Amino acid sequence: MIELKDVAVRVTVDGQDGPKTLLDGVALQLREQRIGVIGANGSGKSTLLRLLNGLVLPSSGSVLVDGSSTTERIRAVRSKVGFVFTDPLSQLVMPTGREDVELSLRRSVKNASERAARAEAVLARFGLLHLADQSIYELSGGERQLLALAAVLAVEPSVLLLDEPSTLLDLRNRELLRRTLAGLEQQIVMSTHDLELALDMDRVLVVDDARIVFDGAPAAAVEHYRALCAASFEEAQQSREVQ
Amino acid sequence: MRGHGFLLANHVPGNSLVHRTPLWAKFLLVAACGAASFLMVDWRVSAAVFAAMCGLFLLSGAGLRRLLRALWLMAPVLLLIGLFQWWQLGAPTAARIVLNVLVCVVAASVLTATTPVQELLDGVAGLARPFRRFGADPERFALTIAIMLRSIPFIAGTFADVRDAARARGLERNPRALVLPVFISTVAYARQTGDALAARGLGEADANEASEAGER
Repeated sequence: MIELKDVAVRVTVDGQDGPKTLLDGVALQLREQRIGVIGANGSGKSTLLRLLNGLVLPSSGSVLVDGSSTTERIRAVRSKVGFVFTDPLSQLVMPTGREDVELSLRRSVKNASERAARAEAVLARFGLLHLADQSIYELSGGERQLLALAAVLAVEPSVLLLDEPSTLLDLRNRELLRRTLAGLEQQIVMSTHDLELALDMDRVLVVDDARIVFDGAPAAAVEHYRALCAASFEEAQQSREVQ
Repeated sequence: MRGHGFLLANHVPGNSLVHRTPLWAKFLLVAACGAASFLMVDWRVSAAVFAAMCGLFLLSGAGLRRLLRALWLMAPVLLLIGLFQWWQLGAPTAARIVLNVLVCVVAASVLTATTPVQELLDGVAGLARPFRRFGADPERFALTIAIMLRSIPFIAGTFADVRDAARARGLERNPRALVLPVFISTVAYARQTGDALAARGLGEADANEASEAGER
C-alpha cells in the first residue's frame, strides 16, 4: 500500500520571494488496483507521481510504500515502484530494445546468459521480440512506449506509475497501451489527460492548483474536472471582458 | 525527433573471426590505435594503418555502408581540422592528423560492431572490479559507458533538428540560434536521463550499501 501523510512539496524559484508550492496538504492511502490522476497542465499531477517513486522528495510529511519511506529507503521503494515517463525516448537508454531490457536486469541477474534469456522472455510477453534488435529510433511511438513499459516491468515491480503515457500516441497505439495495461497484475497509478482512459480506473484523483480537490469514482471525478475547466474558462473570459 | 546517425557502428550480429576475438583483444586494439595516433608521424604509415582497420571492419561483415556512414558523419569536422592544419603545418601533417583520427574511429567501430553492448558493459564492469576496494562501483562504470553510447547520437540528432528549425526561420547563419538550443536540449536531456535512470534504480548504490544507509 502507498501512503502519503500530510505531504507538501515546495521549491525555490529564481526571482520569486517565497517558495513555490507544487503540492500541499496531500493525505492519501492508495490501495486500489487502478488509480487515475487527472488535472490541468501544471496542477501537480506529475509531482504527485514523482513523489511515489522518490524522484521528488516531500518538503514536509512523508510518503511510504509498503512501510518504506521514500526519504529513507529509496532503493527498497524503487525496487517495488516502476515509473514510465511520457516520452519513452527520454527513458530508453540503450540503442536497441533487447539491450535496454537487459540493462534493467543487470542489477538483479548477474549471469549474462540468464539475463539474455529473461530479457527475451519479457520482450516475447509484450510481443516485441521481432523488434528487439532494431534501433529505438526506428520504432513507432506505440512500440517505444510498450518497450519502455517492458523495460520497467522486467524487474517485476509491484506498483507501476505512468506519467501521461498516452499523450504522444495515436488512437491505435493508445488502444494497444490501454489493453496492455488492463492485462497487468501490478497496481497502477497513472496521470493522464485522456479522460476515457481515466474512466477505466477504480479510483480517480483530481489535482488542481497543487491540491487534491476530488477523490472518488471515475465518472464523478471526470465530471468534477470538466466543471473545473468550464469554470476556469469562464473566469478567464470574464477577466478579458473587464480589461 | 528524427532517427540519429551514430558515430560508431551499432552491433552487427555475426560469427566472423573478429566477432569471435576475445573482448580483451579488441579493447587492446582500440587502446593501441589510440596510442599509435600519437606515435605515427608519417602520413603513409597512418594511411596503411587506416587501410588495415578498414579491412578488419569489412572482414567482420558489418558492411561497407556502415563504414562509410561512420566516416561520412566525421567528414565535416575532419574537413575543418584538415584545412586548418594544412594552412598551419602543411599537407603531410594535415593528412596524418586526419588519418590518425579516422584510425581511432574505425578501430572503435570494429569493437562496437562486433561486440554486443551487454558484453561490452560486462567487460567494462570487469575492468573496473579491482577498483571496488577503493569504494568504486563497477556497474556505475558500465552505466557511464552505456550513457555515453546513447548520448552521442542524441546530441547529433538534436543538432540536426535545431539546424532544420533555424533554417525554417531563416536563421541558419546565426550561431546563437544553433548553439543555444542544442545546449539547452542537451542539459534537459541529461536531467531526463538522470530521472529515468533513478526511476529504474540504475546507478544506485548496491543493495547492502543502500540498506545500511536506510538503517542509519
